[in-house]
Amino acid sequence: MYIKLVSSDGHEFIVKREHALTLGTRKAMLRGPEIPSCVLSKACTYFTYKFCYTNSSTVIPEFPIAPETALELLMTVTFLDP
Amino acid sequence: MASFPPRVNEKEIVRSRTIGELLAPAAPFDKKCGRENWTVAFAPDGSYFAWSQGHRTVKLVPWSQCLKNFLLHGTKNITNSSSLRLSRQNSDGGQKNKPREHIIDCGDIVWSLAFGSSVPEKQSRCVNIEWHRFRFGQDQLLLATGLNNGRIKIWDVYTGKLLLNLVDHTEVVRDLTFAPDGSLILVSASRDKTLRVWDLKDDGNMMKVLRGHQNWVYSCAFSPDSSMLCSVGASKAVFLWNMDKYTMIRKLEGHHHDVVACDFSPDGALLATASYDTRVYIWDPHNGDILMEFGHLFPPPTPIFAGGANDRWVRSVSFSHDGLHVASLADDKMVRFWRIDEDYPVQVAPLSNGLCCAFSTDGSVLAAGTHDGSVYFWATPRQVPSLQHLCRMSIRRVMPTQEVQELPIPSKVLEFLSYRI
Repeated sequence: MYIKLVSSDGHEFIVKREHALTLGTRKAMLRGPEIPSCVLSKACTYFTYKFCYTNSSTVIPEFPIAPETALELLMTVTFLDP
Repeated sequence: MASFPPRVNEKEIVRSRTIGELLAPAAPFDKKCGRENWTVAFAPDGSYFAWSQGHRTVKLVPWSQCLKNFLLHGTKNITNSSSLRLSRQNSDGGQKNKPREHIIDCGDIVWSLAFGSSVPEKQSRCVNIEWHRFRFGQDQLLLATGLNNGRIKIWDVYTGKLLLNLVDHTEVVRDLTFAPDGSLILVSASRDKTLRVWDLKDDGNMMKVLRGHQNWVYSCAFSPDSSMLCSVGASKAVFLWNMDKYTMIRKLEGHHHDVVACDFSPDGALLATASYDTRVYIWDPHNGDILMEFGHLFPPPTPIFAGGANDRWVRSVSFSHDGLHVASLADDKMVRFWRIDEDYPVQVAPLSNGLCCAFSTDGSVLAAGTHDGSVYFWATPRQVPSLQHLCRMSIRRVMPTQEVQELPIPSKVLEFLSYRI
């Protein structure tokens, strides 16, 4: 099962439903703020990263975030998941 | 005297999973001292693990082989027998930098170790110094050893050969650290109350002496962006130095006894210090505030008791690479793993006579060295960090607290970014 998240600049991100529901995304889908694609794409990558490495015995790799994206991403996530 | 706060049920704290141990070979003679393992270290690229085996020797093992060995042969691994198996397995030659075990005889008691690697773009120099050939090639990996008589010997990790002998300290070199930016700047901390800055790319030229300590210097650590150095020592000393101008930025006050270990978080926003006063403090190095206190003795000792022999000295502290966990070793025979947002440990493991600890390069293993020259390894508590924390680390890597305070963001986010939640 997949859901579609759309960024403010029209990028569509199709992610697995079970991955995305970890992060207030339900809220975002209903009446969410406009999220730019650079931020939304990073969030989607994080969903998969989290799903993959939670409760796994392999070494968890680093998840790099560029500083320019990080602040906006932090604000977005804090808004969605206070 | 309790080891945990009263509201915590000691039996409910998770025990860490042991991964393995490297036991020191039996000593050729029975000596009371000289066997101690004062220091353990992992190479920055995770290729090697080194520890001072006592009796003036340092052992270097290729780390991934060592880990494989633990998995294959169970948790016990006597070093002598393992080395034979490893060398036979690697008999298919041809590889240029085939990692090999080395035992290095340093000629004097080894108190400190540090790995340094050069960043390829920053070097290309071929120097002959007296009887040593010293060339920085692509894959240069160095091991610096600090000795009892104040000398520092620099070894090539791949060949086990001595490259440089740095002579200037007059007393035990208690700690060594390389700048993380690959410039091969080495800082040494000594019982002669000074720290010295050496440029290994310039023949090991000593660039600067940092004076200010009134007593033994126990440990030093660079901030991840190489701009700051923390040095800690006897008489409650915690100093922060600016490493562009080599001036002292500030003294951090709060401990009641000798401060013996320090480590920065991977984003440089936090500094952990361990002291004989039974505490680990987590500071904001940019303004000197104490953010967290990790106690090892309950009820917390009064300053007079904390300042003396209280049987609960904390010997070592290390920050994990996820920036969320801290490990500490104390004299109550326990290793504690802490989260930076809780004031009681999330995991513990038994360890007698622990002296030093270090996280592996990928953060998955903690190594601890003991009084008898052995090393023990545990799996570290790991979990996927929250997206908020990953963002915080990315921002704090480039922004000190003062700049964070100026950001036009809600106060809740500001507190979070300043690690005040």
